[in-house]
Amino acid sequence: MEPHRRITIDEALPGGQGFSGSTARGVNPYNGHKSVPLEAPAFRAASERILSAINTVIDGKAEAAKLALTVLLAQGHLLLEDVPGVGKTLLAKTLARTIDCSVSRIQFTPDLLPSDVTGVSIYNQSSRQFEFRPGAVFANIVIGDEINRASAKTQSALLECMEEHQVTVDGHSYKLGEPFMVVATQNPIEMEGTYPLPEAQRDRFMARISMGYPDKDSEIEMLETHQATSPLARVKAVVTAADVAAMIATVQQVFVSEAVKEYTVAVGRATRDSAMLRLGASPRSLLQLLRAAKATAALDGRDFVLPDDVVAVAEAVLAHRIILDRKAASTGETPQGVIRGVLARIPVSQEMTDTANSGRTAPELRPSR
Amino acid sequence: MTLTSQPQAGTGVQPQPVPDSPGSGRFGAGGFPWVMSGAVALSVCGASLSLNGVLRGWAWFLPVLTTVVVVSLTMALLRTFRAQPLLVAAGGLASLALILTFTFFRRDSIAGFLPSQATFDALGRHLRRASETVLAESSPVAPNAGIVLVACAALGLVVILVDALALPLGMPATSGLGLLAVLVVPAMIKPQSVGWLGFVTTAAGYLVILACSQWFAPDARTQADTARNPGQVRRAALTGGVALVVTLLLQLVVPGFDQGMFPQGSRLNPWGTATGLNPMISLGNSLRTPTGEGRITYATNSTAPLYLRSVTVDRFDGESWSPDDRNANRRAGTGRMDAGHEILAPEQTRQVTVVNTGDFTSPYLPAPYAPESVNGLTGRWSWDPATLSIKGTDTNSRDQQYVVQSSVPKLTTELLDASSAPVQGVPEEFIRPPSNVPDIVRTTAESVTADSRTAYAKAMAIQRFLRGPDFTYSLESPVQGGYDGNGLSVLADFLTQKSGYCIHFASAMAVMARLEGIPSRIAVGYAPGRQTGATVSVAGQGALPEYEVDARDAHAWPELYFQGLGWVPFEPTPSRGVVPPYAQDSSASGGASTNEQNNDGLVPSSGATAPSSAPAPAPLPLPGSGTADAGNQLAPALYTAAGVLLLVLLAASPRLVRGGIRARRLRGTDTGRNRLAEPPLVWSELQDLATDYGVRPEPSETPRTFSARLRGSPAMRLRDESDPGGAPDTGSGPGDDAGTFHAQFVHAVTVLTDAYERHQYGRPAGQDATRYGLPEEAAVEHIGQVRQSLRRNAGIVGRLRADWLPPSVLSRWGSVARWPFGVLGRAASRVGHAASVLWRRTRSGLRRLRAG
Repeated sequence: MEPHRRITIDEALPGGQGFSGSTARGVNPYNGHKSVPLEAPAFRAASERILSAINTVIDGKAEAAKLALTVLLAQGHLLLEDVPGVGKTLLAKTLARTIDCSVSRIQFTPDLLPSDVTGVSIYNQSSRQFEFRPGAVFANIVIGDEINRASAKTQSALLECMEEHQVTVDGHSYKLGEPFMVVATQNPIEMEGTYPLPEAQRDRFMARISMGYPDKDSEIEMLETHQATSPLARVKAVVTAADVAAMIATVQQVFVSEAVKEYTVAVGRATRDSAMLRLGASPRSLLQLLRAAKATAALDGRDFVLPDDVVAVAEAVLAHRIILDRKAASTGETPQGVIRGVLARIPVSQEMTDTANSGRTAPELRPSR
Repeated sequence: MTLTSQPQAGTGVQPQPVPDSPGSGRFGAGGFPWVMSGAVALSVCGASLSLNGVLRGWAWFLPVLTTVVVVSLTMALLRTFRAQPLLVAAGGLASLALILTFTFFRRDSIAGFLPSQATFDALGRHLRRASETVLAESSPVAPNAGIVLVACAALGLVVILVDALALPLGMPATSGLGLLAVLVVPAMIKPQSVGWLGFVTTAAGYLVILACSQWFAPDARTQADTARNPGQVRRAALTGGVALVVTLLLQLVVPGFDQGMFPQGSRLNPWGTATGLNPMISLGNSLRTPTGEGRITYATNSTAPLYLRSVTVDRFDGESWSPDDRNANRRAGTGRMDAGHEILAPEQTRQVTVVNTGDFTSPYLPAPYAPESVNGLTGRWSWDPATLSIKGTDTNSRDQQYVVQSSVPKLTTELLDASSAPVQGVPEEFIRPPSNVPDIVRTTAESVTADSRTAYAKAMAIQRFLRGPDFTYSLESPVQGGYDGNGLSVLADFLTQKSGYCIHFASAMAVMARLEGIPSRIAVGYAPGRQTGATVSVAGQGALPEYEVDARDAHAWPELYFQGLGWVPFEPTPSRGVVPPYAQDSSASGGASTNEQNNDGLVPSSGATAPSSAPAPAPLPLPGSGTADAGNQLAPALYTAAGVLLLVLLAASPRLVRGGIRARRLRGTDTGRNRLAEPPLVWSELQDLATDYGVRPEPSETPRTFSARLRGSPAMRLRDESDPGGAPDTGSGPGDDAGTFHAQFVHAVTVLTDAYERHQYGRPAGQDATRYGLPEEAAVEHIGQVRQSLRRNAGIVGRLRADWLPPSVLSRWGSVARWPFGVLGRAASRVGHAASVLWRRTRSGLRRLRAG
C-alpha cells in the first residue's frame, strides 16, 4: 500500500474476489434479483433487532440511531456532523456491524486521491491485462471520516458513487453493492484547511444529523461500560445484507397518498418562498424527504405515510440543504429554526375535508420585509 | 268560552291512510311522511284552537284548517318523492302562498290561485287592515279577512318550521317550540289563557310527533339516533308525557294556578285590566296608562263622592304586600253581607249603586263600602266578613252588572273625636304592628303624632302631615327613585323622598296609624269618577246620574277603625280623591279637591297626545307580578310572542346548528353489508367537539399530533390527578371509575384518529378506490364516548358553552361573516397596487417625454 493511502478495510469483503472481474455483474449476491419485501412482523422484528443492538453500544442516542436506520432503509446517505468525540464514528461503525455486510472506512485527508476511493486499473503482468482493483467504496456501508478534509476532487469522486451507485474507471462501469450507504462524518469546528462540502454535494446526503452530547445518566453509564473493552467488540451482526435488501424493498412499497405528496410539496415551496432563505429545498430534496418518510412509516409499522412521518424527518433531511439569507443569519436564525417555522405554519390538510376547516387559512408565508 | 260546543278539529287532519304498510307493525318509509305530516298538522291545528277568544267566534277556523292541511299534505307528498329537505320546505312555502292566494285573493289573482300584481295590492290592503285591527281593537277581535290572513300565514309558517325541526333537522323534541309560539299568543291575551281544548290537542299532536320519530326509522338519522343512545326518542316521548301530566296535576296543588289552564299568562297579562292577585302592583301601571282602560260605569244615589273598593291590604309584613284572601273565612253568596261589628253612629246613610264593570277584569268586585248586599251577579262569588271584599270563586268581574246596597254611618268630627273606647271585635291582623319597621317610619310616626291624644287626632295629624307641603304627588319619581311598588322598605324610601302616589301615601298612613295603635288597612279601588251626563233608571230609585271611572282613577286609601264607627276611610294623598268632610281640617278648608281638576295635570288632555308622553313603565321586581306594561292592544302581545319565538330560536340556533351538523356527519352511507360513516366527517366532528371544549385544532397540526394533544389536554385529564391548573372537578367519583372513563376516551380518540389517517393517507382498498370507512355505529359510539368524557371533565360553564354557544359553530359563523370583508380588502389592495403601478408608469413616461 502507498504510504499516503489511509484506507482501512475493517472487514473482508464477503465477495471480495468478485471484484477481480472486469464487470460489476455479480459483484454481490443481491444485485441480480429483486428482493422479496418482508411481511410487517418480520420487518418489525428485524428493525427492532438492529435498533436494540445499536442502543447497547451507544447510550441515550436512540433518535440518532433510528434516523440512521431510516436513512439506510431509504437508500440514502447520512452525514453526521458534530464536534469530535461524541460518537459519530461509533454510530456509523455500530450500524455497519449490526448488519452482516461489507464495511469499509475511509479516513479523508487532503492528499487522498480519487482513485483511492473508487479503485484503479492496474496492469497485470501475468495476464497482460488491466485488472481493476476496487477502491474503498466497494462495500455495503462506507464510513467516510472527516469528509471535509479531502480535496474537492476526491470528495466529488465519492459523491458521484453515492448518486450513481456505480464506479466508472477507464470506461468501465462497476456496480456497487446493494445495500449501499455512505456514512460521512464532518467536524463543524476547526474548519482550518478544510474543503467544506459545496451545497450541491451536501444535497447528495439524504440527512444530516448531529449527535449532540449524551445526557448525564447516559454519560455515566458510558463511562462505566466503555472503560475496559470497546463495546464495539461485543456487537454481532443481527441481520444479513439480504434482510436489509428485503427491508428496503418493503420500504419502497409503502404507500404515499396524494395528500402527503401535496403536503411535502407545500413544505418545499414554503422553504423556497421563505424570505429568510437564500436557497430553498430542491425537488431532489423533496424526493429524499418522501423516501425518508416512507422508511419512517415502515419503521413505525405502517404501510402508508402520514404527514407526521414527513414532519419527523423534515428537519434532518432539509436543514443541511437550505441556505439562510444573510440578514436572517445575522439575527441568529438557524436552518433548523426556519424548517420548524415552516412546519408550524403550513396547514397539514391542503384540501379542506369539511366545513370544519373552512375559514382557517394559513398565515401569509412570506413575512413582510 | 264556547269551546266544548265546537267540532273536534283534529278529526279533519287525521293521519293519512298508509298505503303500503308491511305487517310488521312498523310502517314502511312510504307511509312515514304522511303520518308525520298528519301529526304536525294535528298539533298546529290543535294549537290554533286556542286562538278562539283572541279571534271572535269560529269562522276563522276553516281557512286556518285548510291552510295547515294543504301545506302539510304538500310537504308529505314531496317527501314521498324523496325530495331534498330544502326542496320540501320550499314546496311548503310555495303551497302556502298558493293556498293563501286561493283563499283570500281568488278574484285578484290569475286563475284563482296564481298571485299577480292585483294580489299584492290586495295583500297590502289586508295587511293594513290587520294592523289596524291589532292596534285598535281589544281581544277578542272580529275575524276580518286581514287578521285571518295573518293568522293563516303565521300558522302555515309554523307548520313548515315544526316540520323542519322534526324531520330534516332531526330534533323532534325541539319542534315544540313552534307550537309554543302559537300558544303564547292566547296565553298572553286571553284571561282564560290557552284553554283545555287547545292545550290537549297541541299536546297530543306533539306527542304523536315525538312518537312518530321513534316508531319510524325512515333514514339514517333516526337510526343514528337510536344507535347513539338507544331508546332516546322513546324516553323523550315518555318524559314529555310525564311532564305534561305533572304540569296538569301540579297546577291543582300550587296556589295561584287555580284559574285557567296552562300557562297562567293572564296573570302576567299587562294588557287587560285584569289585576290578578295583587292589585297593589298593577295600580301604579293603571295610573300611568295613557288612555283610560277598564272603564267602569256606575250610577248611584249617593250624594257624597263615591269610592269603589275592590280589595284591602292589611298585612304589612314582608317585602311585598298583597291582599289576604282569607279563603277559609270567606262566605259564599252576596245576597246579605255584614261586617260583624256594631255601628253606634246615630245616623246611617243607605246607598244604592248600579255598577257595570265593562271589560274591567279582576277577581275582585268593585263595590262602594260597606256593601250589605250585591245582586245581579253572574257566577259564584264569596265575601270576606273581615274586609267585605268580594271575590269570584269561578269567575271574574268582566261584564258584570250588579246592584250594591251599601250603608255608611254619617260621620262627623265630633263623633270621631269622641270615639275613644278601646278597640274590640277587630281581627288581630288589623291591629298587629308590622315587624321590623324601618326607623324612619317609626320616628316619623312618633314625631307627627306627638301632640295628639285621641286616635282621631293622631289620624288627622298623620293625614295633615302627608297632605302637607313637603309631600308631592308624582307617578314618576318612585320609578326613577327605584321604590315603585310597596312594602316597608319602599315606605322608608318614600318618607325620605317625600314624593309618590296613592299607594305610598295610603300605606304610609296605614302603617303609621297602626304603629300608633289604630287598626288600619289599605283599600284599593277607584277614586270617585266623573259624571257621564247619562242617567240610569234603577228600580225604586228613579233615574240616577251615571259616573265613570277607568284605570287612571285607580286609587288606594287607608281605612282606620274607630270603635263604634267601623272602618273609616281617610284621604292622605294630596290632589287625589276627595277628602271626606269628617277628615277635613278646619285650617285646610280648601283641601277638598276633585278628581277632574287634578287629572289634567296627571294625564294631558283626553289622550290625543297621550302615547308619546306616556311615562315609561317600569318592571316591578316583585314575585308573581311578571313584567308590567301599559296598553290594551293586541299588538304588543303579538310582537312579544314573535319576539320571544325569535329570541328563543336565536338563542338556540347555535345549538340546533351544532346538533344538525353532528347528525349529518355521523350519518353513514349504505355499502350493502353495513353502513359506513365517512371518517373525514367523523374527524371533523371530533375536532369540533374538541373545539367546543377548548382544545382548538391548529391547521398545521397533523391528525396524530392533534389527537395526542387532545388526549393529554387538561380537558381530558384524569380527575384524580392533582393538578391545580387542570379541569375543575365536577363531582367526586371513584378513581378507578375515572380511570376506566379515561381509558375509554383514549381508546375512542385513537380509533377515530386511526380511521381518519387510514382514510386520508392509507392505500385505497380495492379497485374501486373505496376508502376505509368507519362503521356508523362505531363512529357514533366513539364520538359519544369522547363527548361524554369531555362533558364530564368540563365545568358547568364549559358544558353550557359547549351546548349553547359551541365555539366551533361560532367561529365558523364569524369566518363567514368576515368573508366579504376579506374579499373587499383583497380587491382594494389589488386596486391600490394597480393604481400605484399605473401612476409610476405614467410618471416615468412623463419624465421620459420631458427628457426626450
